[in-house]
This record gives sequence, C-alpha cells and structure tokens, in this order.
Amino acid sequence: MVLSPDTASPIQSKRQAMRKSRRRTIVRHTILILWGLLIMFPIYWMVQTSFKDSGEWVTWPPNWVPHSPTLQNYGQIFTFDITKEGVARQATEQPFNIWGALGDSVLICTLSALIALFMGTFLAYAISRFNVGGSKFRHSVLIIRMIPPIVIAIPLLMYYAIMVPLAAETVLGTRISLFDTRVGMSLLYITITLPFVIWMMLTFIEEVPYSLEHAARIMGAGRMYTLRRVVLPLVASGMVVTFLFVFILNWAEFLLALTLTHPDVTTLPVLLNKFQSASEGRLYGPQAAIGTIITIPVIVLGMIIQKHLIKGFSFGTIRK
Amino acid sequence: MNERVTTVADLRKDGITARFSAWLSQERIFRWIPFVMVEGMIICVLIIPFILTIYISFLRWRANRPFEQAYLDGFRNYEAVLSDPGFWLSLGRTFYFAGSAVILELIIGFILAMLVHRIVAGRRIYITIFLIPMMVVPVVAGYNFSMIYLDSGPLNELLWPLTSLLGINPRIRWLSNPLAAQWAIILADIWQWTSLTFLIFLSGFSALPPQLINAARIMGASRAQVFLWVELPLLKPAIVIAIVIRSMEALKMFDPIILLTYGGPGTSTQTIAYYLWEQVWQFNKFAYGAAASILVLILFSVLIFVGIYLLGRQSEAVERGEV
Repeated sequence: MVLSPDTASPIQSKRQAMRKSRRRTIVRHTILILWGLLIMFPIYWMVQTSFKDSGEWVTWPPNWVPHSPTLQNYGQIFTFDITKEGVARQATEQPFNIWGALGDSVLICTLSALIALFMGTFLAYAISRFNVGGSKFRHSVLIIRMIPPIVIAIPLLMYYAIMVPLAAETVLGTRISLFDTRVGMSLLYITITLPFVIWMMLTFIEEVPYSLEHAARIMGAGRMYTLRRVVLPLVASGMVVTFLFVFILNWAEFLLALTLTHPDVTTLPVLLNKFQSASEGRLYGPQAAIGTIITIPVIVLGMIIQKHLIKGFSFGTIRK
Repeated sequence: MNERVTTVADLRKDGITARFSAWLSQERIFRWIPFVMVEGMIICVLIIPFILTIYISFLRWRANRPFEQAYLDGFRNYEAVLSDPGFWLSLGRTFYFAGSAVILELIIGFILAMLVHRIVAGRRIYITIFLIPMMVVPVVAGYNFSMIYLDSGPLNELLWPLTSLLGINPRIRWLSNPLAAQWAIILADIWQWTSLTFLIFLSGFSALPPQLINAARIMGASRAQVFLWVELPLLKPAIVIAIVIRSMEALKMFDPIILLTYGGPGTSTQTIAYYLWEQVWQFNKFAYGAAASILVLILFSVLIFVGIYLLGRQSEAVERGEV
C-alpha cells in the first residue's frame, strides 16, 4: 500500500513528461511548417505565374494552379530569332529579350567577382601574415559595405559621366565615359565587394599554419611560389565559397545597376524592373519567367554554400 | 636546388626584371603590394568621386546647362536640403520602416531559431527552406509581392472569408492606402530578411555549451530560468550582431519601394534612398542631390561608427572567452 504510489508515480510522471514533450514537438513542427509555407508561397506564386497564359495572369478569383500550363512566357523571353522579321520584332519588343541582360549580368558578375577574389585574398593574406594596416583595418574595411549604395551612386554618376570624360579629353584627347559601360560597373562591383572577400578569406587563411609557408621559404621557394603552391591550395574551397557569395551579391545588386547604366548595359534585375514600370499594361507572365530564371541559379548556389554561410554569418560567435 | 639554378639563370638572362622581382619579394615591400592595390582601387572608385561630390554640392548647377557653366554658390544647396520637409519626412520614414521591420525580424527569427534548435527530426530541411528568402534577389522579391498585393491577387483571395464576414469589398487595394502600403513594404522586408536573423540566431544557439545548460537543469533550474539566465546572456553577441547588421541594411531600403509603390501613394513610402534617387534621377537636381547625399553620409557615418564599435566589442569579447 505504501509502496505502490511510490513505484507508480515515477512511471506515470515519466509517461506524462513524454506525452508533454511529444505535444511540444508537434506544436514546434506545426509552427515551423506554417512559416515554411508562408515563405515558399511568394516563390510558388511566381513560378506558377510563369507557366500561365496571358488570360490567367490576373483573374478574380485568382487561379492557384495554371489551368492550361504553357511555356509561352519562357519562349518569349528566350526568343532568338535571326530571321529578318525576327530581328525587326525584337527591335520593337526589346524588353522581352533576356539574352542581352543575361550576358551582361553573367559577364559583369563573374569578372568582378574573380578580380575581387584575387585582390581580396592577396590582401587578406598580407593582413594575416604581416599585419598590414594594423589590427583595426579588418573592421574599418567593412565601412564600405555599410554606406548606403545611393550615397555611392550619386558621386559615381557625376564621376563616371562628367569627370572621367573631361579628364580623358584633356589627357588623351578622346572622350571616354565609364557611365553605362561594363568596365565601369565591374570596377564598382569589385570595390564594393572587396570588404566581404577580405573578411571571409581572413577566416580561411588564418586556419592555414604559418609553419608550412616557413618551411617552403626556407627550402628556397619564392614568395609568389609559396603563395600559389602552398597557401592557395589549402584555401581553395574557401575561395570557391567566397567567389559564389560575391557572385550572388553582384547578381542581386539593383540600385547601382539601375542608376549607372541606362540604355546599353542592362543587368537582369534592371530588366525585371523595366517591365514593372511599363505603363501599357504589365506583362506578368514574362516577368515571372525572368524572375524564375534569375532566382533559380542563386538558390542552387546558395544551397551549395549554405553550411559555410552559417559559419560565415556567425561573425565570430561560433567558437572553434 | 633545381629552383636555385633557374633563378640564377634568370638573373643572368634578364637582370632588371629579376632584380625588380627580388626587390618586390623583400618583406617590407611585399607586404604592402596588396594593400596598395586595394587602397588604390578604393581611392580611384570611391574616394575621388566623394571629393568631387563635395565640390559639386557647393555649386549652382542645373542639369540642363553644361557642367562648365556651373559656379560656386556657398551653402545654398545645404540650406535648401535642410529646409525641405520632404528630406526630413523621408528620413523619419526610413527609421520607422527599419525600426518596425528589424524588431519583428529579430523576434520572429529568434523564435524560429529556438524552435529549430530544439527539434531533431527534419532540422536540415527546415534550415534549407528558411534560408531561401535571403537568397532570392531583392528585385524578384519585390516583384513577387507586387503580384501578391494585386487587387485581385492571392492575398485578397485568402482574406476573402474575413472580408465577406465584415462586409468589406474583398478587393482591397493594398498599395493605394498610405498606411497599408507602408506595411506592405515592411512585410516584404520581413519576409526576405527574417532568414538572416534566423541564420545568425541559429549559429548563436548551436554555439551554446550544452554542459552549462545541463548543469543548470540538474541543479534544479526550470526551463524558463535556464533560458533567461543562462542562454540569453550567452546569446548576447548574436543579438547585437543581428541588430547591427539588419539595421544597417534596413536603413538602405530601396528595391522593394521602387518595385512596389514608387514612393507612393503621394510620398507615404519614400525612404531616404528613394528620395535621393528621385531628386537626382527624376528631377535632375544634381547639386542638390550631392548636398543631400553628403548630409546623409555624415548621418550614416555616425551610425556606422556605432555599429562597427559594437561589432568589434562583441567579437573581441568572444575571442577573450568572456561570454
């Protein structure tokens, strides 16, 4: 009689605790799944709109799935018609065509990410090994990232469009403008992504033991040789991650591309915005198709570097 | 040994370049090469334009006249900016948007990170899905929300049971009412950037030392006590980092505004970035825009200084192992 409540209650309370914890788990999963649905909804809406025919873009009540799925929107943005009529039509329907913007985006983003990667890695190496610029340098370099891009855009507009041509005319005798050029955009992208490259590469380079380089130097290897054959192979994966990260940043950049390019150079975000401001009825379908095309590579790349992102964004809060 | 021989041969063959490269690889020179490269780049692309902008901000210059005809005119542009209510209102709105968005992002991100940290099954899937919005190009996110906020869009469809119950016209114009448009933009920002605060908090949670928490539990602390007195203080660096990074980004808000509302209705969704863009690119007031951007830069440098100081202090504290 005395024993039974004593023996029964621990089991009972254990069972109760288990039930309680299971209920907790279910509540947690419900909240998380709801948030997941909320997050995926806008993306789902874009993707399904990109498969809708023009009659289905805006209806009341809206269609939750395309009734007659079509690839017409993708066909429209990827037109590559070299016949005479095709060229004529492309001239009038210019914003439809994605090829120019896609080419510009890929070229500018890849080139500037590569150059920024090499300059930044080199500087990160110098900071890590020789303490160049003092201990505060690595924090102060982030300032560039924190300046609002519009404040950079206004000076650069005047610099690219007025001062560079004027200077080129007096020195070289020809007018060279950096406004609305791929070189101008790349230079700018290199400069504004350098802080990220330096910051990320520092964490990777500091993991490489100095004794390795020391050994290589003693055995007679030159500085560049040591850097190329000893240090770089060890941080290669870090460089890939940094490259992808910087590429994504450039790929998504909108304000500077909008303000510093107008007719000639167009990046994909600017192309998408061109549709948005169209007054003669918005073309939701092609827009959705362009949006999908822009988004998918970034999400895939992002998933590849996800593990490193978690580490990189901890900004030193994760201890090794 | 082989290496040596080739360098000597090179030296004989091509004295100047070899001597130059030997001079370059001296430590006192070599260490400055990348520094000079990067700093040169920053000076050419950012510093010189800023000096030019300071000069232009003192000019009297209209865009329809050539630059050569502009003349110095003192602080007139600065006076014009500071006495423009539009400038102050858009500045206030920027802080209102950034403040509301960042607070909600911090709360939601924190709760999500806590929930994901506590569960075991399906953790990786949740993390993968929750990080997707951050990777969506902001312009695409703006476009997505412009579809969702349509008068006959999915949001009104979802709210239809509610609106029919209250007897309102179900086709609510989300982007035409000033208050609704402001919150439409804030919600779009929350959708996109909660994933970043979630990421920061998640890495904060996974860095918590389990021994400490177990010890506290064994000593009889309740779940709430452990959270309040053990976990929260340990998460302080992550919280500070999330606040600093998100506020700096939110104060730049531009993309969703141009995609969703073009600053409208009226000027009710103009942020400072949009205001500057409109002055320079729509109204062609270059000198005025230069003066305004210098003022905004001064304001932001104060905020940046505070932000960098806070970030630096947190990471130093972590390095010392104090937290």
